[in-house]
Amino acid sequence: MFAPPEAYLVLSAAVFCIGVFGLLTRKNALLFLMSVELMLNAANINLVAFSFYWGNVTGQTFSLFTMALAAAEVAIGIGIILVLYRNFKDIDVTEATTMRW
Amino acid sequence: MAGIFDFAPAIVLLPFLSFLIAVGTALSGRDLLPKGGAIPGIAATAGSLVLSIAMAATVAGGEVYDATIYTWAVGAVPGAEAPLELTFGVLVDPLSSMMLVIVTLVALLVHVFSLGYMNDDGQTGLPRYYAGLGLFTASMLGFVVADNLLMAFMFFELVGLCSYLLIGFHFREPGPPSAAKKAFLVTRFGDYFFLIGVVAVFATFGTAQFAGTEAAPGFPALAEQALNGEFAANTFLGLGTQAWFTVVGLLVLGGVVGKSAQFPLHTWLPDAMEGPTPVSALIHAATMVAAGVYLVARMYGFYAVSPTALGVIALVGGFTALFAGTMGLVKRELKQVLAYSTISQYGYMMLALGAGGYVAATFHLLTHAFFKALLFLGAGSVILAMHHNENMWDMGGLKDKMPVTYYSFLAGSLALAGIFPFAGFWSKDEILFETLIHGLDGAPLLLLGYVFGLLAVPVTAFYTFRMVFLTFHGEARTAEAEDPVPVRWNVKGPLAVLGVLAAGAGVVNLAPVKYLTGLEVDFLHSWLDGGFTNLTVHHYAEIDPYSSAYIGGEVTTVLLGAAVSLGLALLGLALAYRLYAVPEPVEHTDKLGAAKDLLYDNYYQDEYQVYLANRVVLPLARAADTFDQSVVDGTVNAVSSVSLFSGRRVRRIQTGVVSNYAALVTLGLTVLLVLFGVLGGWLL
Repeated sequence: MFAPPEAYLVLSAAVFCIGVFGLLTRKNALLFLMSVELMLNAANINLVAFSFYWGNVTGQTFSLFTMALAAAEVAIGIGIILVLYRNFKDIDVTEATTMRW
Repeated sequence: MAGIFDFAPAIVLLPFLSFLIAVGTALSGRDLLPKGGAIPGIAATAGSLVLSIAMAATVAGGEVYDATIYTWAVGAVPGAEAPLELTFGVLVDPLSSMMLVIVTLVALLVHVFSLGYMNDDGQTGLPRYYAGLGLFTASMLGFVVADNLLMAFMFFELVGLCSYLLIGFHFREPGPPSAAKKAFLVTRFGDYFFLIGVVAVFATFGTAQFAGTEAAPGFPALAEQALNGEFAANTFLGLGTQAWFTVVGLLVLGGVVGKSAQFPLHTWLPDAMEGPTPVSALIHAATMVAAGVYLVARMYGFYAVSPTALGVIALVGGFTALFAGTMGLVKRELKQVLAYSTISQYGYMMLALGAGGYVAATFHLLTHAFFKALLFLGAGSVILAMHHNENMWDMGGLKDKMPVTYYSFLAGSLALAGIFPFAGFWSKDEILFETLIHGLDGAPLLLLGYVFGLLAVPVTAFYTFRMVFLTFHGEARTAEAEDPVPVRWNVKGPLAVLGVLAAGAGVVNLAPVKYLTGLEVDFLHSWLDGGFTNLTVHHYAEIDPYSSAYIGGEVTTVLLGAAVSLGLALLGLALAYRLYAVPEPVEHTDKLGAAKDLLYDNYYQDEYQVYLANRVVLPLARAADTFDQSVVDGTVNAVSSVSLFSGRRVRRIQTGVVSNYAALVTLGLTVLLVLFGVLGGWLL
């Protein structure tokens, strides 16, 4: 009735890798934020899947926390992106290098 | 019911209180106290004197006191079950109660004398002066009652500080500050060895108590037990117990030699005469310079077990007695003569201590404190009358104009010269007698010391009476001497008190009379034989390495020794009388030619010490500085430049591009995963 656990792991790994790929290849800060969300959700899939597999709701509860965390993170992330735009007239993350040595 | 001993700390605290009052007055900048702050000082020292006499009376009743007041540090010692305790404590026994009476009495008289010397003379900065005197008195009394070596060391340093402050009292003139610095540095040089000695005592015995208890004996008793094999003392440098004790004793002796102005660290004392005369009387004659001798007497049980240390003490003392005396022969200034005589007299005390004459040394300490304080105060009276001219060649004929000063000064001079029956005769005679009888029994070093001491007797008598005759006899040689400024009761009072003591203090220990008649009149001997069992005279006599031999029986030796020293003293006196007790004396010492220059320039002691400092110490210090600047600092600088250089290179990795960081993090994670995989065995 349910898919075997390996399927969830493969799905989660795939989503995570997509997130990492996006993080490494994009310059747009908004896409960065999305990639990070993908990686977080990959972790969530794992949490829920194992929780279901072991018949223990702790993992699912924990994934709720992760989602709340992700929402907070997005709020801050969007805020940072707005400030970035205000200062550099752009949201290209490779442009904002004035704080280095 | 509080016993009298519960008030022992008050002896120290009263002068300290007067110091605080004087400092408060000085800081307020207003003339809050009458007499520039002298009254609290006089009241405090009088209070201390009363308490000290009460202590002495109680000690005379056979009671002694040794209590820890405050423990300020406790620490476990590896390999020892008892922790190491650093404490302040009070030890009142016959020796310290006697010293308490001496110090408080002289301090009181000097405070009163200062009214005449400083206040009536219109000196400025009086609160500062009385603050110095108060702090000095408190520190000296603290040193006297100290019940362990570390506390003694701390107060030893405090009296040195007060000496520095008071020598440099007239700090706007060129001489005093420089003399103060010299006194501070020279004594500090000795104290450096003393400090090492204190640490060595702690390391060797785990305690620095002088007296201790049955269960936890003081370090002199432990030293004795260690030599009997009843106690395992830690020794260092691969030395045997005996040799190590000698080393420790000589280290502590460094401080003694510096403070009691013994050869070769005596050069500071004559310069210290730049200080006000009452200060010279209190600090540089009667009390502070006595601290060194007192310290040796305090821990005599420790020195007594080391024949080598005793020999060194005796030889240094005997040599200093003669050496300093010869320099006093040719000086022109009143206080200079007295300064060299002080060095010489402390030499006698050291000779006595080294020769096993514990009572003789303590006796001479007592009489010398009185007659030398008297002589200094008398000199102060003369200097005051002469408008601060100290040159004896400008004086003369003061005898009739200042009778109180003259007669008290004469009493002090007769005592110093050792003329029968004044105090100095008895004490000096006992020193020479003890040295002789112990030397005759196979201790050639002591016989050498005896010869030095004996030769110093006519020298002492000569310079003392050269001083007296030049100052008081003959015709007035200047207008100032013609019409001296009259001095008041506050100068004459202390002089009279000390004059009586200088003449009569000898009765406390008429040892020769005892030998001749068998009467028990050596009171000081029986006084010092009381108290803690380990700190008594007969105990010291048991453990010291000397025994006695006589020339044709005890009585003959006593008479012979006394006759020889008295004869030599009279010889010196007669020579001085012949040469200087004339209306128009001339500088007979000029006949000595080059020898006079040698004596007048103090055997070029200062010159060779400055030479050593410039040619040996300074290049060494320069070399050390170069080493510090190049090698030590170089290493530190090299470390910092390596960090700077590598930091400048490595920071390139921080590009500021977020994508690069993300790539690095990902790469790092991957590497870690692969690493764990390979090492964990679940990959490949």
